[in-house]
Amino acid sequence: MLSTHLGPSADLPPWAVGLACAFAILSLALLLVEMRRRERGGTIIAVSGLLAVTALLAAAVRPARVSARESTVGARVVVLADTSRSMALEGDGGRSRRVERDLAIAGLQKKNPSVRLVVLGFGDGPPLPLADSSGGDATSARAPHSDLGAALRALAVSSDERPAALVVVSDGRLDDPPEDAPEASLRALGETINVPIHTIATTRGIPADASVRRVTAAGAAVAHAPLPLRVEVGCAGGLACDELAVTARELRDDGPPAVLASGLAHVKDGTAVLDLTITLERAGARIVEIAIAAPPGDVIPDNDRRLVTFDVGREHVRVLHVAGHPTNDVAALRQWLKSDSSVDVIAFFILRTMTDDARATQNELALIPFPVDQLFTEQLATFDAVVLQDFDAQPYGLERYLPNIQRYVRNGGGLVMVGGTNSFMAGGYAGTPLADVLPVELDGSRGATSADTMTFVPKWTPEGLAAPLLDPLRSVLGDELPAMPGANVLGDLRPGGVALWSHPTRSTKGGHDMPVLAIGEESDGRTIALGIDGAWELKFSQLGADTGGRAHGALWDGLLGWLMRDPRFEPAQIEVVGGCTAELASMLRARIVASSGSPREGHAGGTARTAPKVVLDVRRIDVESPPIHIERVRPDEASPVDFALPALRAGAYEARLRLGEGVTTRHDFACEAGGDEWADSRPDAQRLRALAKAAGGSFAFSSELDSLPLPKPTVVSAERHVTPLAPPWTWTLAAAVLLGVHWVARRRSGLS
Amino acid sequence: MRLRPFALLAFALALAVALALSCPRPACAFGDIGAFDPRVLLTGNQTGAARPSAPGRWAWELVQRTSAPARLRPSVVRADDPAIVEAPFLYWSGDTEVAPLTGSEISSLRRFFALGGILLVDDAAPGDRGEPSAFGKSARREVARVLPDSSPIAIGSDHVVFRTFYLLRRAEGRVEGPASLEAIVHGGEAQVLFSEHDLGGALARGPSGMWEQAVRPGGDLQREHAIRLAVNIAMYVLCSNYKDDQVHAKWLMRRRTGTTP
Repeated sequence: MLSTHLGPSADLPPWAVGLACAFAILSLALLLVEMRRRERGGTIIAVSGLLAVTALLAAAVRPARVSARESTVGARVVVLADTSRSMALEGDGGRSRRVERDLAIAGLQKKNPSVRLVVLGFGDGPPLPLADSSGGDATSARAPHSDLGAALRALAVSSDERPAALVVVSDGRLDDPPEDAPEASLRALGETINVPIHTIATTRGIPADASVRRVTAAGAAVAHAPLPLRVEVGCAGGLACDELAVTARELRDDGPPAVLASGLAHVKDGTAVLDLTITLERAGARIVEIAIAAPPGDVIPDNDRRLVTFDVGREHVRVLHVAGHPTNDVAALRQWLKSDSSVDVIAFFILRTMTDDARATQNELALIPFPVDQLFTEQLATFDAVVLQDFDAQPYGLERYLPNIQRYVRNGGGLVMVGGTNSFMAGGYAGTPLADVLPVELDGSRGATSADTMTFVPKWTPEGLAAPLLDPLRSVLGDELPAMPGANVLGDLRPGGVALWSHPTRSTKGGHDMPVLAIGEESDGRTIALGIDGAWELKFSQLGADTGGRAHGALWDGLLGWLMRDPRFEPAQIEVVGGCTAELASMLRARIVASSGSPREGHAGGTARTAPKVVLDVRRIDVESPPIHIERVRPDEASPVDFALPALRAGAYEARLRLGEGVTTRHDFACEAGGDEWADSRPDAQRLRALAKAAGGSFAFSSELDSLPLPKPTVVSAERHVTPLAPPWTWTLAAAVLLGVHWVARRRSGLS
Repeated sequence: MRLRPFALLAFALALAVALALSCPRPACAFGDIGAFDPRVLLTGNQTGAARPSAPGRWAWELVQRTSAPARLRPSVVRADDPAIVEAPFLYWSGDTEVAPLTGSEISSLRRFFALGGILLVDDAAPGDRGEPSAFGKSARREVARVLPDSSPIAIGSDHVVFRTFYLLRRAEGRVEGPASLEAIVHGGEAQVLFSEHDLGGALARGPSGMWEQAVRPGGDLQREHAIRLAVNIAMYVLCSNYKDDQVHAKWLMRRRTGTTP
């Protein structure tokens, strides 16, 4: 747009023009004062004085014609739109808060056409351009958090053009700043970017909703130890609830959820806090459902329960060590178990059988009854692992309790069967419920051979070479193994079983190398079959002595560690990137730590190979649903492998990852419908109002956008031409002449 | 009809074979290597245990009385033999002074102890009151060279060795000797046990089935107590401090207050 106007000479700075104007005004003022002393001719003095001062001013500023091409640039205003899951909740007028938010942004744009609005969405971390949701796409309300603080800090350090103002559009249910944040912290938040922050609240109405608002645990979850939980429940929107029943249940892989605790929350002023104490018996990721029985009229049933994943650790590993008779192998294992202060060992060794003649009365013996009933019923669940070493089930009445052991394993327990003359088939385990959870088949047919008494050197399988649980042993011993004095005859691997060592000459019925050491997963639990009784030779042998006896401990370190899901011995670390939200696609990332399975120098055992295929199976724990099976090729050993999961329904899931035909690892996770974002469905306009006040901005509801003062546009000139109205000497001459006329007029009027 | 006895015999044989095949065959040698082996330790110019039949009898008594497997033909190992590290127990007995251990013998024994091995030093010629013989004194001297930073301490009936299988009030062997044993204890575990009771003498039994040595002053009862001590020592090797576990405490406390051998 071309514009023309008068202005001072281009060589004058603005302050000089101002100074000249000031002097001119001062001169006129003095003239008025002097005119009080005149005798006559007031008009002529005033006119001539005014002209003279004007001419003097013109001589100083030398007026010019200014022609310029000008444009108006609207102020840059960044709109931070809340993209958290809470924006998917219902807002005012039957519309979702996301729709309210988008309407507010559109209205803002319409009412301030000259303002350059940059619309970004905030949720987790730095703000990102907001997805267009005008077509009903709800992807702009999926963030699991509403971290306004992180968004402001990211904007403050951004290299983009600095905004003239910020406008936050949200329901006010933010993670940062938190509820009831002090004014000082809100002011500090505003100072991070140092521009006015205006806020627009999308929602006024409070939905009729009862919910589990927060679950906090006092400390870390430890297996077998009581864990106090504080459950905060809320009731809002006029819902009638004086009391809410709260239940904590563990969602289990095998069987219905186990009720851990329950209580009654007495609601006062719309909220209540209930303390519950739960005890989780199994380590690893455990999913606990905290649920309320909501009263009728609750419009958001999805937040009536929370699924909390506890990473249950162990202070101590409780191991039940049962041995059929004392041997060097039993002694070596016991000494190793007792040497680890983190292991609590409850041991029962059969020191006398019915056929032994001790030649002493009962009081002369240091023998106690084997409390088989007590151990394998009421106390079984308190153990993290059960080791049955060369133990015959039949004479001691263990057969009756084998279903209990099966159930114990499937519920997450660990079981190790160690070989010997009374183990596996010889112990009468073939065809029993316990055999169903072992990683190998046991042949219970007549004439089946229970043991091979030939000395042999176990052979590493490729899976054994790749398994992290045997890394400690390999680091001590290399790939060499001592000769073993025979082995229990084990059958083919059962589904989920993996052989780590095999027999060099014996084969199974299926034609495979006979497993000597095999591991397996059975529902929630893990089992190990070690079909030898000579593991103690890793300590007492020439080979063992060369390692200072450490090889035996290294073997059991890995075996028990794997059984207890020690992350060091897992083949991969799995995480759900950004968490899992129900009905939304998510990403599961596996960082594979298993070695490639290559033999070390001097190894003559298994064949070296890599495991390029990575198989993921995702299955729902709490209810039956179709499993998800994904296979990926491992790009290289360093890169993580990402698996895109489809939208899952709210619930508890287990993800099992298998490397080729090798060992598996498991990760349990929960998908919640709304998670933290839906836990408290009440909008919080007050928080937005306080933020605007502290950050120098204004607050408005989305229906009152007129009251929001956005910055004015800036005028920018281009192609400016300055043309003097007259040559400078003409202004000077005019000023001299008019000053002279004024002097004459003064003299004639009696002024000096 | 003349063939009938042969037919019956053949049928019986076939039945026996079939029965033998129909049952899961127990492992034979499998498991033997982990059994208790009262290995005889020889040093210097020693050629055998002071009571050659005692280790075998010890193993036999263990098998008869307990569930523990044992090698009825115990092995013999020289102190400088690399095979010394291939089992966790050594039995060193003698009735004459032993020659000073050579460097390689000391080195081998140290390797054995480093793995957690246990040595029983059994004086076969102690005085009636357990005064050590020339063997006992020289063996202690040599053990002190092997384990220079340790010294023996007396272990009485409160030690787990006295309750690993039998509840014993005192130590006894061919001679009554002192009530306690002595032991070099490392990390809570006894590495070396010293007996001044001629335990082997109480165990030794000839091919004729006769006891080789008279037991004084207690006779057969004392011999029985000696055998029980030997059984307990074997159980200590195989179970270490199992009977120290808390789960046994209340039972054993109750029995200690009652009749004990």
